[in-house]
Amino acid sequence: MRVGNVQGGRNAYRFAIQMSLTDTTQLALETAMRGTWMRQTLISNNIANANTPGYQRETLDFSGAMQAALANGESPTQVALKPEVQAATAGPEGNGVSIDQESALGAENGLEYEADVHVMQARDEILRSAMGL
Amino acid sequence: MGLFDAIEIAGSGLTAERVRMDVTSENLANAQTTRTANGQPYQRQEVVLSQNGTPADFGSTLAGAQSAQGPAGGVEVSGIVSDKTPDQLVYDPGNPEANAQGYVAMPNVNTVTEMVDLISESRSYQSDVTAMQTSKSMFTATLELLK
Repeated sequence: MRVGNVQGGRNAYRFAIQMSLTDTTQLALETAMRGTWMRQTLISNNIANANTPGYQRETLDFSGAMQAALANGESPTQVALKPEVQAATAGPEGNGVSIDQESALGAENGLEYEADVHVMQARDEILRSAMGL
Repeated sequence: MGLFDAIEIAGSGLTAERVRMDVTSENLANAQTTRTANGQPYQRQEVVLSQNGTPADFGSTLAGAQSAQGPAGGVEVSGIVSDKTPDQLVYDPGNPEANAQGYVAMPNVNTVTEMVDLISESRSYQSDVTAMQTSKSMFTATLELLK
């Protein structure tokens, strides 16, 4: 586990492997969960508006920003979660929403969220056992 | 951002698709109605959908709603309008509604179009249900964290 740029000898090593309630992994997990939750809302909106003339689908992709933040040692909480509008691609109504595609993305997104929850649960388990609870 | 936004949005989709199904049923039921309250043949009705209360894009509304409480999109039925396609003239001199030339003005309803619309409506409805179910299982997963 990488925690910032820690200088120094033995203490630095001890600090680097330390797991805490608010370390980078935990913050990254929280941001990822917030992002996937937001994306689920966007997918719901895309599906609800699949028959609205002129509607343009919206999406959220934060994986690149998250990767960059983690590589540069920045806090994952600084990752911007900004939905993007995708210009309509096809259809006589100028509506680029494909219901099948959105449903697939919705299922994928739900699984991604549950994976995050499972990792969080596992970390919770470790901390609990460390505390002897 | 409200916890149940995704579920409420899917709910608005369900409502809108139900209205569309009701209107399609009405069209099918009146496919042969030659006389309505105004004496004219039945006119095909159509539902107009619009994105709920968001003049700008949904994303900025959602981002704004994260700090404050407020609705975050969805779809709404902004109106039910008559289809302006002319009536179909059918030659049936025996019909009491026939004009001097023996033609009867039949509603501008095409049953095949209505059936295809019905398929699209029911598929959209199912997709809304799926989106709602996924959101629900995500929420349940979050609750598991509290155990």
